[in-house]
Amino acid sequence: MFKFLETPRHPPQQSEPLLRSTASQQRAARPGVATTTSRKNNSLIQGFWESAERFPCRDALVVDNTNLSYRELRDRAAAIAQTILDQERDAFPLAAVLASRSATAYASVLGILGAGKGYVPLNPKFPIERTRKMLIFSGCRVLVAGREVLGQLGRLLSEIDGSLTVILPDLTDAAELRAMLPKHRFVSSREMLHGEGLAFHTEVDSSAIAYLLFTSGTTGEPKGVPIHHSNVRPYIEYIANRYEVSERDRFSQQFDLTFDLSLHDMFVCWERGACLFCVPEKSLMLPAKFIRDCELTMWFSVPSVVALLSKMRLLEPRCFPSLRFSVFCGEPLAARHAQHWQEAAPNSIVENLYGPTETTIAISHYRWNPSSSPEECLNGIVPIGWVFPGQQFRIVNQQGSRSREAGELCLAGAQVTDGYWNNPEATRRQFVRFRETGETSWYRTGDLVKRGENGCLYYLGRIDQQVKIRGYRVELQEIEVLLRKASGAEQVVAVPWPVTDGSADGVVAFLCGASNLDDLYILKRCREALPDYMVPRNIYRLEEMPLNDNGKIDRKKLLKQLEGA
Amino acid sequence: MTMSEAQLVDLVINWVRSNHRPGNSPNGNISPDTDLIATGMLDSFGFIDLIMFIESQSGCKIDLTNIDPSEFCIVKGLCRIFMGNRLNDLASIRTR
Repeated sequence: MFKFLETPRHPPQQSEPLLRSTASQQRAARPGVATTTSRKNNSLIQGFWESAERFPCRDALVVDNTNLSYRELRDRAAAIAQTILDQERDAFPLAAVLASRSATAYASVLGILGAGKGYVPLNPKFPIERTRKMLIFSGCRVLVAGREVLGQLGRLLSEIDGSLTVILPDLTDAAELRAMLPKHRFVSSREMLHGEGLAFHTEVDSSAIAYLLFTSGTTGEPKGVPIHHSNVRPYIEYIANRYEVSERDRFSQQFDLTFDLSLHDMFVCWERGACLFCVPEKSLMLPAKFIRDCELTMWFSVPSVVALLSKMRLLEPRCFPSLRFSVFCGEPLAARHAQHWQEAAPNSIVENLYGPTETTIAISHYRWNPSSSPEECLNGIVPIGWVFPGQQFRIVNQQGSRSREAGELCLAGAQVTDGYWNNPEATRRQFVRFRETGETSWYRTGDLVKRGENGCLYYLGRIDQQVKIRGYRVELQEIEVLLRKASGAEQVVAVPWPVTDGSADGVVAFLCGASNLDDLYILKRCREALPDYMVPRNIYRLEEMPLNDNGKIDRKKLLKQLEGA
Repeated sequence: MTMSEAQLVDLVINWVRSNHRPGNSPNGNISPDTDLIATGMLDSFGFIDLIMFIESQSGCKIDLTNIDPSEFCIVKGLCRIFMGNRLNDLASIRTR
């Protein structure tokens, strides 16, 4: 049986700054020198700082046709970190970054971590209303913004109560913004500190948050998932060892910062002094040329990318000879796509990773074997494999008892966080204890799995209305809440559509009863509040919703109607 | 009948007007200089559908192996690339 956990609280935490002035910390004389004490946990950025010390002249980042060495990236991060600390009047645990695919985006992530804060990534591609909600929910008082979002700041900040400190590393003069938004404090690049003469600490309190991400929430509001340094360090170390990452590796950086898989790209890469190649926005769709031109050795993406490349005949045999590892995560990986990619990247090991955001990036893996794996797949989908060593899993039935058959996957271990950000109800629902395992906190994934005879785990689907759209986690209820408000319809249903090989490309909506509003108006409202991948592609009007034997709306029947359309 | 690049541009614009993501960008705003991805008119799957539509209309496959993505997403860039990178001989492109 489930036993509900006490609500974890997230009071403002002040971890010891990772980056201190030499005046206050004489024992580390030079930037990049890590210090150690046994009472602290390693920070997420430990690997980066150590690599910056070992390989200061090697490239850490290639973005916008610009190469940044470890020293250059560290210096940019140090300037942001020192500016954050200089602006700090009261202790705060988190700072936000609003930037994308720019040097400032990456330097901001590192700078925030360097200041001893957790970072909250915001996405310039999301509707401003959603970004504002995330900023407010997070409680951030400091925002670092890149050049690419300067045009959004007026609309974003005008409706925020209280005063934010906005650091602008790409803007030399903030006078215009100050005049427009007088209640906020703006720090232009000219006013930023330089970060010189600083010593870096790479250890933090065990309770300190490394990052806070927002996922789709069933109530119609985004849900915050705080991940602690103590959750993410085991992942980085395990994966860097498993993939034998070295300074000679060249990593793809394909995911937006708001997607936790971006953490893998950045921090596994920098852990060992490798170079991160940011995929330009326009190459995201068909990145084949980018992989070849950059001679990448490490590829990480959602499986949808394979489907697109395959469709466009861009997965010719041996077309990616440089890849050592090809890793896929975020949605079911079709066996035929794994095989196709393996042929395109014959020198590469292909792996399927699985893991909800709450369990830190990924927590299980399956290594593709071209000879034996096709027979091990279930319904044409690659297994999610085995949970990482040191992490724990249980498969439970609806009553919460251990199940030998298919059941809900529950996860525990160092990688699993302790609850949602200021959301006790959702925490109580998803984080539970079992009598047999004492005080261990288990995260209920909502994923239906079964275990094979050899212990391998197979993903079967969801036990609720959560879906993956192109790898993004979406609660259909969140879309339905908004559709109901926007349309005034009595009954509203959102379904994933079309679905290929277990992955959804988009969403469509069905409305029923008393809505005279134009579809375009309703969809415009959706677009103002939801990210692109959550906006329905079409709206269908029904006289009445089909019902199943229990009197509930029959979603399967709606999908069948779409199949027949 | 054989189609010119200009006619192909018209074909693409008409297709996008019928198939762009709903609620995004009014129909009248698309021009040969429109970036279909940056404006959000098409997502990556919609873009692939567009390419497949052009291929089905022309009976030709397009070689995307070495295309420049920055040009590819703009209507006239896409059409120029298509006219120059067809994989098989273009005897004719059928008009609708």
